Amino acid sequence: MTTYIIRRLLYMIPVIFGVSFIIFVLFNVVAGDPAPLLLGKHATAQQIHDLREQLGLNKPLFAQYMDVVKSAFTFDFGRSWATRQDIIEMIRQGAWPSLTLTIPAFAISTVLSILLSLVVAFYRGKGIDLTIRFLCIAGQSISSVAYILFFQYFFAYKLGWFEISGYEPEFPMFLSYVALPGIIWIVLSLGPDVRFFRTVILDEIYQDYVRTARAKGLGEITVLLKHVLRNAMIPIITYVVIQIPFLILGALLLESFFSIPGLGGITLNALNSSDFPVIKAMAVLSSIAYILFSLLTDVLYTLADPRVKLK
Amino acid sequence: MSTRLISLVFAFMIAAVGCSREQNFDEKVLNLITPQKIKGFDPIYAADLYASNEIGKVYEGLLEFHYLKRPYELTPNLAESMPEVSADGLTYTFKVKKGVMFQDSKAFPNGKGRELKADDFIYSIRRMADPKLQSTGWWLLDGKIAGLNEWRDKNANAEKVNYDEAVEGLKKIDDYTFQFKLTKPFPQFLYALAMPFTFAVAKEVVEHHGQEFQNYPVGTGPFKLEYFDNSNRIVYHRNPTFREKFYPSEGEATDEAAGLLADAGKKLPLVDKVIVNIVVESQPQWLNFQKGSADLLGVPKDNFDQAIVGGKNLHPDMAKKGIRLSMVNALDTTYVAFNHTDPLFKDNIKLRQAMSLAYDHVESNKLFYNNTATIAQSIIPPGISGHKKEYKNPYIGRNLEMAKKLLKEAGYPDGKGLPELNYETVGSTVSRQQGEFFAKNMADIGIKIRISTNTWPELVKKTNTKTAQMFGIAWGADYPDAENFFGLLFGPNESPGSNSSNYKNPTFDKIFAQASIMQDGPERTALYEQLYEMAGNEVPWIYGMHRTSVTVYQGWVKNYKYIEFNHTQVQYLNADLEAKKELLKKF
Repeated sequence: MTTYIIRRLLYMIPVIFGVSFIIFVLFNVVAGDPAPLLLGKHATAQQIHDLREQLGLNKPLFAQYMDVVKSAFTFDFGRSWATRQDIIEMIRQGAWPSLTLTIPAFAISTVLSILLSLVVAFYRGKGIDLTIRFLCIAGQSISSVAYILFFQYFFAYKLGWFEISGYEPEFPMFLSYVALPGIIWIVLSLGPDVRFFRTVILDEIYQDYVRTARAKGLGEITVLLKHVLRNAMIPIITYVVIQIPFLILGALLLESFFSIPGLGGITLNALNSSDFPVIKAMAVLSSIAYILFSLLTDVLYTLADPRVKLK
Repeated sequence: MSTRLISLVFAFMIAAVGCSREQNFDEKVLNLITPQKIKGFDPIYAADLYASNEIGKVYEGLLEFHYLKRPYELTPNLAESMPEVSADGLTYTFKVKKGVMFQDSKAFPNGKGRELKADDFIYSIRRMADPKLQSTGWWLLDGKIAGLNEWRDKNANAEKVNYDEAVEGLKKIDDYTFQFKLTKPFPQFLYALAMPFTFAVAKEVVEHHGQEFQNYPVGTGPFKLEYFDNSNRIVYHRNPTFREKFYPSEGEATDEAAGLLADAGKKLPLVDKVIVNIVVESQPQWLNFQKGSADLLGVPKDNFDQAIVGGKNLHPDMAKKGIRLSMVNALDTTYVAFNHTDPLFKDNIKLRQAMSLAYDHVESNKLFYNNTATIAQSIIPPGISGHKKEYKNPYIGRNLEMAKKLLKEAGYPDGKGLPELNYETVGSTVSRQQGEFFAKNMADIGIKIRISTNTWPELVKKTNTKTAQMFGIAWGADYPDAENFFGLLFGPNESPGSNSSNYKNPTFDKIFAQASIMQDGPERTALYEQLYEMAGNEVPWIYGMHRTSVTVYQGWVKNYKYIEFNHTQVQYLNADLEAKKELLKKF
């Protein structure tokens, strides 16, 4: 397994090269020129030229690409072109608000979804199953913005149960700010999650070993929790763990509507202002996180199912 | 297990609700909202409205716009008086107020702020010209101060910029007196000294914080920064070392009746604390205001009907809560620009005129501005010298018959032979809707429009490289002088300069060059009016609207008066805590 992990970690090197290349190409082909954006509406051609020179945008393309690669490997992303802040510091500041929102919401929604999918699997084909499935599909059919607008208006403004917007980094103050967006996250996640987990669990429920367990006289709940759920863990782990890197990127819409100063907003601002160092940092860090968590998924397979060997 | 989980969720929610911030009635606090993240507090980068509003709370300049007088009038701020100007209009001598202190900071010896001197202004102006810093305000001084461009060029490739070298046009006379020497008359120069770009910073603070300077503002201004998270919240407290500056005792004729002189002669600032929350989306902005958590707000477009009835009156439900309304013409112009490097538009004035006549300004005003805007007849908004109230542009006001006639004379009867035209816009919902509306209007005379949506960087790139055929955009005044608008049609300012439509007209350019160096007076106004009519008749753009700023503010906020250049406004605002206690009961 150690060899496998080392090999997978080494795969990160070509991936980082590849990600750097894609970002670099996109930035140079698709994105706008940052110099006039940074200089404002009165910029002159001379100023734009001088600023491009300072930002290293007049260097040969290969040299610029190598700068991108270097910063990706050294994690020295420099400073934001737009705000002149240290990028690592920006990410550090933004990560906490994002994670205080996404991690609890994600954990609760995952546990709740698994529990609900066990319930619907238990009552498969019956009224409760049909009702929950109907609610899941109906819930998914409504735009996430509609949920946000309604919940914010009704629960925060009308009922006054929650703050309308804002954020305090200190515990427990942040709870009052992330509670409502967290609940919206949970509501938004339940539909797709329950439907997916239900399918996975039903796939297992008709297997021979389940019939064997029932034949031995085990109760339905024991069969579901001890046998079915355990065997369904591989697709569940894949589905769940692979979402974790995206939690770090924050929840763009929720952060925006609830004024949570997380990484989603930082990324969006960077895209809107062609702030290449920040875009680069976010892309590289999220791809590294993606690789690490897919590796973690593989490792968790071995724990969930001892028959799985990593070679 | 599920019961435990549900209990946990409820516990989480209850705990969450119990931790909210409470209203504080012990000190006068203003709760404001800004819709954009703040890039930082360095005055030399104060190009956007939101950053300059924050910079203006901490830093100050030599001059400022009088808070109450209209038309806008400059008044001394850190300057002891208005400057002495030499007869040739080239030398401006300023005396700096004595006893003005920079706020305390660890950048100063013993952490105590020192006195502001003439050297600080000379240093701050040089920072704007520093080639390594690339100030977004350099255009204000570019080519205008003797020796400053030479100093900038000389240091462009230097390892370290030499601030010790003398610059002819920036001369210290004594600790409190200095002179600007201009290369040519520049009547708008004094406006530059009221803009945040030229506000005074202390060299020690800049050097102490280095690249982090923009996060550690230390000025002489009315407020001291207490907390800054550029994407969440900014908190200021009253600056304890702020000098004796008083609320004005005179203003417009109507100000006294409006209660705007009730605090005349009181020491500024009038509130103890200012909290600025960054709220990007319009719904939470509106709900926070409706709940009393925000003290004033520009009414979001989608909430207009909830705030205003009959197009100009405050909704009774809001009036009951003591909320008040301000509707004032903003100094801006929206327009659809033609790219004049495209031979299709450059050489065909009749095509431009036909398209302008096909555009339905009245419907556009209803759809996009809740019928509050003023239809632009030319480039200058009302309220600026050069705007000719009696001028009616013959190519504004929908007239499809005339538009079709002109289109035929332009060589494209019913649009035949005219290729599909490309209208570039940004991807926001309203901008796309405006594009659709424009396309529909043009289709009525047979012109086909393709709408291309862009991110803002993409659109800027296209206009700078002259590849955008037509684009919808707006211009807000940097200062209240027509020169700031006419410059958008001045040939030498072509892209990537401010003349992004690349319009060139030698007669216009000649008159503009002549007028732009003249002091304000009847002669200059006559030239401005000539330019105004020319800009109207030539239809270099399809003029859109001069928008109206619609602001609502709470009943406990005192002294609110709309000011276009509002970076120093907050020091004049007051909060009536007793009124707040009472009014909040109605929320």
